[in-house]
Amino acid sequence: MAFRRRSPRFWLGRLVRNLLAWMAIAFALFPAAFVLGTSFDPAQNLRTAWIIPTQPTFANYLYIFQERQEINFPRWLLNTVYVAGITAVVSVFLCALGAYAFSRFRFRGRRSGLLTILLVQMFPQTVGMVAIYLILQTLGKQVPWLGLNTHPGLILVYLGGAIGFNTWFMKGYFDTIPRSLEESALVDGATPFQAFWRIILPVARPILAVVFVIQFISVYSEYLLASLILKGTDKYTLAVGLQLFIGEAYNRRWGSFAAAAVIGAALILVVFYALQSQIISGLTGGAVKE
Amino acid sequence: MSFLRGTPWLLVKIVSLSVLDAIGIFFAVLLAWEESWLLVGLLCAGLLGLNVLAFSRRLYPLRYLAPGLFFMFVMVVLPLVYTVYISITNYATGNILSKSQVITLLTTRYYAPPNAPTFNFRAYGDEHGIYALYLFGPGSEYVLFPDGRISPTSGHNLVDLDGDGVPDLLDGYRHLSIAELTPWLSQLQALEVPFGEGVLRLVTLSTFRVYSRQYIYDPKNDRLVDLRTGKEYLAKGGNFVSADGEKLDPGWVTFVGLANYLRFFRDPLYNRAFVRVFAWTVTWAVLTVVLGFALGLGLAILLNDRRLRFRKLYRSLLIVPYAIPAFISILIWRGFFNVEVGLFNQLLSQTFGVRVPWLTSPFWARFSCILTNVWLTYPYMMLVSLGALQSIPEEMYEAAKVDGATGWQRFAHITFPLLLVSVAPLLIGSFAFTFNNFTLIWLLTRGEPVVEIGSRAGATDILLSYAYKLAFMGGRGSEYNMTAALAVIIFIIVALISGISFTRTRALEEVSRGL
Repeated sequence: MAFRRRSPRFWLGRLVRNLLAWMAIAFALFPAAFVLGTSFDPAQNLRTAWIIPTQPTFANYLYIFQERQEINFPRWLLNTVYVAGITAVVSVFLCALGAYAFSRFRFRGRRSGLLTILLVQMFPQTVGMVAIYLILQTLGKQVPWLGLNTHPGLILVYLGGAIGFNTWFMKGYFDTIPRSLEESALVDGATPFQAFWRIILPVARPILAVVFVIQFISVYSEYLLASLILKGTDKYTLAVGLQLFIGEAYNRRWGSFAAAAVIGAALILVVFYALQSQIISGLTGGAVKE
Repeated sequence: MSFLRGTPWLLVKIVSLSVLDAIGIFFAVLLAWEESWLLVGLLCAGLLGLNVLAFSRRLYPLRYLAPGLFFMFVMVVLPLVYTVYISITNYATGNILSKSQVITLLTTRYYAPPNAPTFNFRAYGDEHGIYALYLFGPGSEYVLFPDGRISPTSGHNLVDLDGDGVPDLLDGYRHLSIAELTPWLSQLQALEVPFGEGVLRLVTLSTFRVYSRQYIYDPKNDRLVDLRTGKEYLAKGGNFVSADGEKLDPGWVTFVGLANYLRFFRDPLYNRAFVRVFAWTVTWAVLTVVLGFALGLGLAILLNDRRLRFRKLYRSLLIVPYAIPAFISILIWRGFFNVEVGLFNQLLSQTFGVRVPWLTSPFWARFSCILTNVWLTYPYMMLVSLGALQSIPEEMYEAAKVDGATGWQRFAHITFPLLLVSVAPLLIGSFAFTFNNFTLIWLLTRGEPVVEIGSRAGATDILLSYAYKLAFMGGRGSEYNMTAALAVIIFIIVALISGISFTRTRALEEVSRGL
C-alpha cells in the first residue's frame, strides 16, 4: 500500500484500536497460554508453576498417559470419544431421516409435529435429571447394559436430547436443496428412501458434518448427566474424571492437570478451527440474515 | 439398488420383521414371567407399532420420524412427565416403596420376647461344610439343615459314641468344633426358619432363639398393631402413624398434591433457600448476558472497523474461549481463583500485598462466577453481533452522516436498535441457558460458600444446582420430590422466557417460515 498522508488523529485512532484489540486478545488467551506453559513445568504446585518453565520437560504428558487404576486419563479420553462419537453418528442419521420427512413429505400432523418438537426441545434435559436417573435405574434392572454406570445408557440419554434442535436445523438446510434433484430419480422409479440415501445425503454432506461436529463437541463437554450416570472410575468421561482428578489438588497436581487440559482441549480446538465458519453459523444460527 | 422395490426386498423385510417380532415376544414372555406388566405392555405396544409402521402406506412418513421421535420420547418427554408426577408425590428417602411392600416388610419384622424359647445347637458335617444342626431345648429337639428345612430327630440317626449324652455323629457326619464352624457363620446368620408363630434365628455361637412377629396388619382398619407394645399405627400420608405421632419407617409413595411446591413458599427452611437462590439465579443470568453482550458488542464494533488490520486473525484469537471445552476452562479458572495457590492471589500479593477471598466469601464467589462466565460467553455475543452488524445496510449510515449525526448518535439511533431486533431472541436464549448453567456453577464453586447453617443452598447455588443437591447430596437423604417440584418451577420459568421470546421478538416469524 502506498504511503498517504494521514492526520495524527487517524494514527491515534488506529493505535487505540489495536491496543484495545490486543488487550482483549490477552484477556482471551491468558488462561490457555498459562496452562500450555505450565504443562511443560515439572512443578505440581500451582503456586510455583510459571508460564515460562525454567526447566521444560514432557514429564507431565508422560505421566498422564500412563494407565492407572484410579486416575486413568487415556481411558477417560477414549470413553469420551466413544460416547460422543456414537451419539453424534446416530443422531446425525436419525435427524437426517426426520428432517427429510419433514422437508419432503406432506402429511397430516406435520405442522403440529414440527411445533411439538420445537416446544419439547425448549425444556432443558438436565432439569429432568431425577427422572432420567430413576428411569435408567429401572431400565438397568431389566436390561443391565442400559442402566446406570453404562455407556450405552448415557448414549441413550444424549440421543434423546440431540434430536429436536438438530432435526430442525437439518430440515432448514434440506428445504434449500431443490426438489428437482430427486424428482428425476423418483420418476425413474426410485423409492423415496433411495432418493434420500443416494441423492439428498451426499448433497447435504456439509450440514451432516456440521451437525456431527456440534453434537460431538456438546457431548464431549457435557458434565451433569455424565457425572450422575457414570459411577466407576473406569467409565468416566473426561469432564467427570478431570474434575475429580484436580478436585482441591491445585497445589499438588497442577502440572499433570495442565497437560491433561491441553490434550483434552487440543482435539476440540483443531476440529473447531478446521470447520470454524460452518460451526459458527450453526451455533449462532438465526442471527445472521441476508 | 432396484431390488429395494421388488419381491426380494419385500421378502427381506418380512424375514427381518419376523426375527424382530420373535425376539420381542421372547422378551415379553420373560417379562411376563417376572410380572412387570407395565414393561410387557410397553413392549407389546412397541412391537405392534413397528409392524403397523412397516406395512401401512398412510403412515409412511412416520417410518422416517419414528426412530428419532422414539429417543426423544424416552429421554425428554417421558422424564418431563415423570418429573411432574414425582413432584406431586412424597417420593424421597424413606418413602420409596409401595404400600404393599412396606406392609410385607413390617409384618416380617421380628423381635424376641423375654420368655422366648431358646435352643442350644451343635453342628455336624465334614470339611466341605455343614450337613445339619442338632437343636435341643427344654423338652424338644430338632434337626435343622442349612437350607432352612427343619425336622424332628426321629427320622435321623444320632449316635452317642462316648456315652456323655451328647451325640457325636449325625447321619454319619461328625461334630464340628466352633473353629470349624466360623467360615459358615454368615450362612447361619442369614437363616430365618418359620417356627410356630415366629421364626428361629441364630443368637450366639451356640444358641438359636424363637423370635415373634412384631406387627400384624389389619386390612379392615388399614392399621398395624405392634404386638410387643400393643400400640396401634394408622395408615396416614405415606406412613403408619400412632396416635401420639410416632412414625414407622419406611413409608410408601403416595400423592401429596401441591404440598412440595408449597414448602418452597411456606416452610422457612426451603423458602429462605429458594428466595435466595432464585434471586441469585436471575442476577447471575442477567449480569452475565448484559456484561457478555456489552463486551462482545464492543469487540464486534472494533473488529467491524475497516481501519483495523488483521481483523480475521484477531477474530480467530478472540474466539478461543468459545472453542475450548467449557469444563476445561472452568477448572482452570477455579485454579486461578484458588485463595492459597491461585494465580490471581499470587499476582495480587506480590504487587499490592493483598489477597482476595475469591471463592470463599459470598460476594467474591459470585463475582468470580460472573467474571468466568463473561469470559466464556463474550465470543458468542461477539460473533452474533458481528453477523448482525454486517447486515445493517451501509446507506443508513450515509444518510445519517449527511444529516450530521455524530458517531455516538449513529450508534445509539441506528446500530444498536437494529442490532437488538435481530439479536434479541439469541440474548433471551442465552439468558435461559445461563439460568440453567449447572456446569459452570458446579465446577467453579459447587454452589459454595455456605451462607446459612443447616441449609443446603450456598451463596452461588442456582436453582438447578440447588435441585441437584436436594436429590443427590447426602445430608437429609434424597429429596427427589422436592427436586422434581423445583424442576417443574424451572420448567415454568423456561416456558415463560420462551413465550416472551416468541411473542415479543421476530423468532416467531422465523418459526412460521420454517413450517
